[in-house]
Amino acid sequence: MYAEIEDTIAAVSTPPGRGAIGVLRLSGRLSHKIATTLAPNCKLQKVRYAQTCDIIDPETNEKIDRCVLILYRAPASFTGQDCAEFNCHGSPFVLARILRLCYAQGARPALPGEFTLRAFLNHKIDLVQAEAIRDLINAQSEYQAKLAARQLQGELSRYLQPIKATILEAVIHLESRVEFVDEALDTHSIEQLEQQLAKVATQLRRLVDSYRFGRLVREGIKLAIVGRPNVGKSSLFNALLQRDRAIVTDIPGTTRDTLTEVTSINGLPVHLVDTAGIRQTEDVVEKLGIERSYAAIADADLTLIVLDSSKPLCDEDFRILESCRCSKHFVVFNKCDLGVNENLLKDYKGFKVSAKTGEGIDELRQAIFNYFSAAEERPDLLLVDARHHNLIETALSELNLAKSRLKEGFSEEIALFHLHNTLSALAELTGETTVEDLLGLIFSTFCIGK
Amino acid sequence: MNFNEKFDVIVIGAGHAGCEAANASAVMGCRTAMVTLNLDLVAQMSCNPAVGGIAKGHLVREIDALGGLMGKVTDKAGIQFRLLNRSRGPAVQSPRAQTDRAIYRKEMRQLLERVPKLFLRQGEVTSLLVEQGRIIGVELMDGRRLAAKAVVIATGTFLNGTIHIGTRTFSAGRSGEIASILLGQSIRSLGFRMGRLKTGTPPRLDGRTIDFSLFEEQPGDEPPVPFSFRTKKITQKQLSCYIAYTDERVHEVIRRNIDRSPLYSGQIQSIGPRYCPSIEDKVVKFSDKPRHQLFLEPEGYDTNEVYLNGFSTSLPLDVQEQAVRAIPGLEHVEMIRPGYAIEYDMVDPTELKSSLETKRVRGLFHAGQINGTTGYEEAACQGLIAGINAALFCLDREPLVLPRVSSYIGVLIDDLVSRGVDEPYRMFTSRSEMRLLLRIDNADERLTPIGRKLGLVSDEAYSAFLAKQDRIKELKRLMQRHKAVLGHSSTDAFCEVLGIKLTESTYLSQLAKRPEVAPEHLRMLLPREVADNCDPDELSVAVNDLKYAGYVDASRVQAERVLRAQSKKIPADLDYADLPGLSREMVEKLSRIRPETLGQAARIPGVTPAAIAIINLQIELMRR
Repeated sequence: MYAEIEDTIAAVSTPPGRGAIGVLRLSGRLSHKIATTLAPNCKLQKVRYAQTCDIIDPETNEKIDRCVLILYRAPASFTGQDCAEFNCHGSPFVLARILRLCYAQGARPALPGEFTLRAFLNHKIDLVQAEAIRDLINAQSEYQAKLAARQLQGELSRYLQPIKATILEAVIHLESRVEFVDEALDTHSIEQLEQQLAKVATQLRRLVDSYRFGRLVREGIKLAIVGRPNVGKSSLFNALLQRDRAIVTDIPGTTRDTLTEVTSINGLPVHLVDTAGIRQTEDVVEKLGIERSYAAIADADLTLIVLDSSKPLCDEDFRILESCRCSKHFVVFNKCDLGVNENLLKDYKGFKVSAKTGEGIDELRQAIFNYFSAAEERPDLLLVDARHHNLIETALSELNLAKSRLKEGFSEEIALFHLHNTLSALAELTGETTVEDLLGLIFSTFCIGK
Repeated sequence: MNFNEKFDVIVIGAGHAGCEAANASAVMGCRTAMVTLNLDLVAQMSCNPAVGGIAKGHLVREIDALGGLMGKVTDKAGIQFRLLNRSRGPAVQSPRAQTDRAIYRKEMRQLLERVPKLFLRQGEVTSLLVEQGRIIGVELMDGRRLAAKAVVIATGTFLNGTIHIGTRTFSAGRSGEIASILLGQSIRSLGFRMGRLKTGTPPRLDGRTIDFSLFEEQPGDEPPVPFSFRTKKITQKQLSCYIAYTDERVHEVIRRNIDRSPLYSGQIQSIGPRYCPSIEDKVVKFSDKPRHQLFLEPEGYDTNEVYLNGFSTSLPLDVQEQAVRAIPGLEHVEMIRPGYAIEYDMVDPTELKSSLETKRVRGLFHAGQINGTTGYEEAACQGLIAGINAALFCLDREPLVLPRVSSYIGVLIDDLVSRGVDEPYRMFTSRSEMRLLLRIDNADERLTPIGRKLGLVSDEAYSAFLAKQDRIKELKRLMQRHKAVLGHSSTDAFCEVLGIKLTESTYLSQLAKRPEVAPEHLRMLLPREVADNCDPDELSVAVNDLKYAGYVDASRVQAERVLRAQSKKIPADLDYADLPGLSREMVEKLSRIRPETLGQAARIPGVTPAAIAIINLQIELMRR
């Protein structure tokens, strides 16, 4: 809740959707620790100093983004607490991932207006500003109330209600075993309860897994098409768009600037970026275009490196392949209607397409879709909200702990510790369960009365 | 105004709340009077002859740790002791004892009579004397006026009590005792919001007419586990209880006569406790159950009277008799006292501050059933806190408010004053957010230092406590440094007893975390001189601390967050109606309850996190 001012909170503070840059803020005691954990290669402890660094997933050591990090020390910060500010590339996909890493390191999602509230509580802003924030929070609370009302009848809640009911049933049986030992109650066995919990854990797992894709469905992905001049990038761009948008000629360097269009692949929104061909050049305008091509690679969720399948690879090709080594990419051999080098195709695990005849385009589209969707069994429902995802992920991990403790032979109150945590994580989405609610359920399920 | 006598504190009522209140206040140095209708019935157990049970036993340990009386008296008056939930973790184990009613009364009265500044007075308090919003004393039926700086009301079911047996109703405070009607009027006239609750009690049977051979015997534990930290050993002989069941014939008698039950005829409107339903409720609401469990509990050493636990009823006498005699083994039973239902007045506990002082009248405190609770233990702990705070009030010191996170007493009082009650309130372990922390075996660690500061813990008891804590700490240190070494004979023995295999040498503190490992198992692994000498209870506390260390730490983190939120005080003059964004319902609730802290406000049902943020902001705005 808002009163817990000591928690470390995290949020993306730029508007939702895709922007040029995305700013992610942390405020609270753990801010610096989280920032240094995620960006291990920056020279830290220097505050109010912009430093470029890589964000690395500490679990997988995978590089996620290159960003500018600024640290602030309390009280000299916006909120008056220790703060950290990541200026990242604007991909919502990447930002969401960094945010999740922050949560994993101990931050929690910020509530509406919470940064400003802290600023006020720490005397960083004056009364007039504070009054304005109060109105903002009021508006938010009305909005939340409406949202909650909608959610209560909404899809997510509908999906979660039976899950909650099963967890509640387990809680009631376990609580009754603990509280009413003398009553000879007809409660489920531990094995029965374990099985019930395993079933809902699977359902929650599916929901959690759906978020990665759900997020993409909402925000869209960014796909950059790069390659040296005249390999058919613009043709591929048009083929994927399914209309003639980019100008296609035989003259190398026709595309001077990046060109973005939105299409969809199996319902997945795709921001498709055609780029200027990359080569050594003295032409000032072309040079600028090439710089933008590199920027597009950095910003893309997936890069399609286009090679000419009818010709041997040249130095330019190798340079581009090398520069994309660290980013997610597919290698696409275009112009397969003019000839194919099967060895190269195999070496680069490439796709064989012809933008001109349409050969291989469907397969490429499917591969792109599969790359992002990847989920095996998905519920009818997709999680799209980071906060919901965070809550359900917490609920799931607590549920799994409850299950394991029961299996390991711990007694009921230990499993209950985790199950109550599960319920409180779900509370925001399913409505809170108070002790009185629980007792009510217990007394209507069992005849208790010594 | 003229007064016949002057006191610092007056306690009205001598039940479980009244006794603790009077003792605490007098031991803390205040001249204290305990006024009761009948001094022969001090600490009377009006319902079942038992103390403790899950969560309730926790309360008794906490009372004891603070320097209260209930644990000591129960250890003396107990006739059967059992530790419940032995097979479960230490946090949910709790002692329960059947008691001898007469010995309980006698022991309590003797303890009270030894307190120098405590004065017993028999009489009926008929009105509270209030001047300019402050209590100044009480007036008795016989015209006496007693002055006091603080008054604790602990009147149990006596406030305007009405007994129901079948269609017959009459005014009474308990079976055979008069109700306090005028005092009820006096409280009402001060403007307190009042409600009415109901509770019930089963018939008492003549043990000579029961065929005990037909029932399953339930003996006490050997050796019995005491309630008080100060009791070394319980030596009295233990009696058994017996388990009985109703059957279809019993249910048939009840069903046939259900329209003669005041609960179903509409004669009783007020709400009773759901966890202690009458037998008629059980039969009607759980009609698919072929039988209900009952307990035959002896009332004491020197009596034939047997308490039929689980058979609370307000059916007419003839139906009670017929139903009881339908139980196999009770065919020829004689009923000594009938069961009955009683309705009584209560005062909405949201009228109270966390100190149990009323917000309306300074120096007036409420404790026990008047606050809507049920149970001796719930009453006693409120009595203790009200008595302590009445004394602190007289001494002009800050009140004692126990936080939710470190005691069940704190949970109970916070629930009462911030949420109010819809039905008689009973303690359950699930009411605490910190269940794994609030064990019976660490109540002294949590509360004895507080009792000591108040002057309720003697020098002798306190030095024993400190020495015990040192030994426990030392044991824990030892287990954190000492390993079960692979290949060592003690390790082999340990593994063999438990049927487990160790793959590497392991610290004892790690082994303690395994669910199958009990304190006595670890004794095998301790260095010889420690293993031979350490006290089993202390070893058990040390192991329990280590066992749940991870959970306790996680709970503590949560606890500290709760504490921080709790600590922020809300100014008494905050006008909620002025705050934008609060719904009318929230404004109404907040203005009525007037929470003292932000944490309390957050626990009021229906008050949202956003509303708390607004209040928090407003507090800051008011400060500048």
